[in-house]
Amino acid sequence: MEELIYKLKEEIIDVLNLEGMKPEDIDENAPLFGEGLGLDSIDALELIVLMEKNYGIKLKNANEGKEIFKSVRVMAEYINEHKTK
Amino acid sequence: MPKLVVTGLGIITAMGAGKEATVRQLLSGKSAIGSMRILQTKHRELPAGEVNYTDEELKRLIGMPQEQLCNRTTLLARVALKEALTEARLTENFPDKVAFISGNTVGGMEKSERYYHDFKENNSRNEYIGMHDCGACTEMIAEEYRGKFQLMSTISTACSSAENAIILGANLIKDGRTEIAVVGGTECLSKFHLNGFNTLMILDQNVCRPFDAQRNGLNLGEGAAYLVIETEESAIRRNVPILCELSGYGNSCDAFHQTATSPQGDGPFLAMQKALKDSHLEAFDIDYINAHGTGTPNNDECEGIAMMRIFGDKMPPISSTKAYTGHTTSAAGSVESVISILSILHHFIPANLNYQQAIEGHNFKPVAEVLTNVTIHHVLTNSFGFGGNDSSCIFSAYQNTGHRNQGSVVSEQISENKIQNSEFKIQEAEGTNASSRLNVSTSQRPIYILAASQISNQAPLCEQWFEQPELPTVANSDSQEADYSKYISPMVARRMGKLFKRAIATAVDVMDKGKMKQVDAIITGTGLGCIEHTEKFLNAMLDNDEECLPPTHFMQSTHNTIGSQIALHLKCHGYNCTYSHRGTSFDSSLLDALSQMHLGEIHSAMVCGHEEMTPDYFKMLGKIGYWKDGQFDEKTLHRHDSVGSFSGSCSVNLLLSDTANDETMCAIRSMDLLYKPSQQQLQETLRQNLAQLNISIEDISAVVMGLNGDKENDEVYLDFARQHCPHTPIVWYKHIFGESYCASAFGVYAAAVMLQRHCIPAHLIYSSAKTDISPKYILVYNHFQNKDHSLILLSSCSC
Repeated sequence: MEELIYKLKEEIIDVLNLEGMKPEDIDENAPLFGEGLGLDSIDALELIVLMEKNYGIKLKNANEGKEIFKSVRVMAEYINEHKTK
Repeated sequence: MPKLVVTGLGIITAMGAGKEATVRQLLSGKSAIGSMRILQTKHRELPAGEVNYTDEELKRLIGMPQEQLCNRTTLLARVALKEALTEARLTENFPDKVAFISGNTVGGMEKSERYYHDFKENNSRNEYIGMHDCGACTEMIAEEYRGKFQLMSTISTACSSAENAIILGANLIKDGRTEIAVVGGTECLSKFHLNGFNTLMILDQNVCRPFDAQRNGLNLGEGAAYLVIETEESAIRRNVPILCELSGYGNSCDAFHQTATSPQGDGPFLAMQKALKDSHLEAFDIDYINAHGTGTPNNDECEGIAMMRIFGDKMPPISSTKAYTGHTTSAAGSVESVISILSILHHFIPANLNYQQAIEGHNFKPVAEVLTNVTIHHVLTNSFGFGGNDSSCIFSAYQNTGHRNQGSVVSEQISENKIQNSEFKIQEAEGTNASSRLNVSTSQRPIYILAASQISNQAPLCEQWFEQPELPTVANSDSQEADYSKYISPMVARRMGKLFKRAIATAVDVMDKGKMKQVDAIITGTGLGCIEHTEKFLNAMLDNDEECLPPTHFMQSTHNTIGSQIALHLKCHGYNCTYSHRGTSFDSSLLDALSQMHLGEIHSAMVCGHEEMTPDYFKMLGKIGYWKDGQFDEKTLHRHDSVGSFSGSCSVNLLLSDTANDETMCAIRSMDLLYKPSQQQLQETLRQNLAQLNISIEDISAVVMGLNGDKENDEVYLDFARQHCPHTPIVWYKHIFGESYCASAFGVYAAAVMLQRHCIPAHLIYSSAKTDISPKYILVYNHFQNKDHSLILLSSCSC
């Protein structure tokens, strides 16, 4: 799990162009949206694409992301459970 | 203000071609949305409002030879345009002053996405390269009426493009620049925007359900619609039946988010409020609202709240007709305006299909079944686009001498018109020679350029180019970037292409220089928009077989992203519009600003031109003769003895005001945009503009021209100089900044700096016996491929 969390942080930094950030800068338990990392709805769409592209997880509704993207840890747990590749 | 009326309508959507088919389908209460059979996409599971004619069938409808190359955006438009012009009796008898304003965003993408690999790798489909951009489509649409339109432009504000075309057309008429405006929009389905909307997760897998609590997104549609608008006086003089009035309109920017509407619907609220004010109507006068109602959770909720803010608990009947047609994006504004007018003429209210349950917090229910035998005096129609480009129009049943006329052709009305005809002739004779003028504005009070800013291949955000220009030595020179971290926070900047960063930096810089806190309007010219992100999305779509695409790149591919990002940054809720009309994109923006200032609609405006060039696009345009081949040095690059020019990116921002302040650079005294004018028309326009200022051509200190090293292009300029101002010093600027669709912005900018500093540096002088010139009046002349021409006359503030 910790390995997946680290990998996921790298992928998030890359896909969201979080320039100058390192995986260590992201608290895996902090919220991704609003406070914490301060991401917005467009980032949520990018994260949905990330999950589909890298882990074969396809969400039908953008609203499903709300629960999944609570934190990097929650996201990693979801991926671990649902990944198809 | 003259009363504006509508005298022609043309429409094609999934419901069919023509008004008759449209009314029939609307009355049937049946959706025309279904499976796609023409668009070759992997996502056939998505329902859409596809027009049920193949390209071949469309060509047959309009009598175009099958072998003629054309894109679907143009073909759809031709069908609708023909119907509108026929009804307004403009096919045979074209008066002198008819403008054509068309909106589109996707342009020729449906062909470009098919042949993109050919564009890059071989020479088998080069003819489609030049048909890709929005302005090219407008030109092809109007080709059949070659030389008959005297002014032409293209608006690209995504899903409100056509609504804004109506607004520009109306303003141009009110400002006396044209008598008739043919306005509307067109868009065909493309894989590009189908996939784009899909990545935003706003497409419903079933037929859409606008304003329903369970709505789950929109369905895309395609189509085109055009309206002929003119003054009542013109319609009566031409003896054409009047269909209805265009009684008011409003444009506002939500300035909230790139794709989402603000929770309280601020932009939509302001657009509707402005439209009501403009029409001198109260909310309770509105008998029907044709809502934007896309079916996305966000739009319908916020539009509903905005309508509740306007109408309170006296909500008129509302329906969204997108469940009939799908969302026809750039065409939606005119498609739904035509539907609104048909509802006035045929006394019915189309149903809001698939509605079951009200949205939580909404106090209204849309019209679920078609209502017939309804008298509609006033209808409000909404169109909102990405980036918060929100517009509303109000159409009213035609009122003639106190009698409401709700029929399309009424014989008494025509005979009544004939009687009035003679009165108008008398008025005309007494007035100033209005009808002999081309499109010179009726009002010529000066408008001031307070400040200017640029980012280009020259040192950024300063005027070092004026003293020490860096002459390009390659055919594709790069931009020199500024330190954007001063202007844009890292969280915002991380998603932005360079074009947007340049736009925001120049916008902030120009506001600082001009000491302004806010503007009434942001008007953007961009021929191509953000091609960097358009290409990224297109490549991803083709490489990944329409799967796992980046939503950010799609959102930033629409042309109006630039203007809406500036609005977002400045929190400017004022008028916002984007022009994408090839080499006169910037000129169109300037024309819009000046017209609205003359009309007193706005008092200040940011007018800008933003263009970038990517290696791939440069290569593609090179295939169709845009650029010079081979190696150059600074002396040989701009010699106009060969074909092609050299490219430069462009970000120019001008701050305009109708009041001068201490910072004022110069004054704009007149501006004209002409489509395919004869030399005589150019001469006459020039003569009239000079006469208004009581000056002669000898008083013009210099003529600034877009000489760019291309033989054919330069010959048009030099010919103009020979014919109209043979003794006036010629100033050039593209030898420094390079060529781009918005490069003419540098011409106006350079003229403004020369007037401000009372000098013309030697490196800007192309030909003159004199070198020590202290300019008072400068004429800026720009043309694109000898089709669209603009004449802009500037003076120093002391004149």
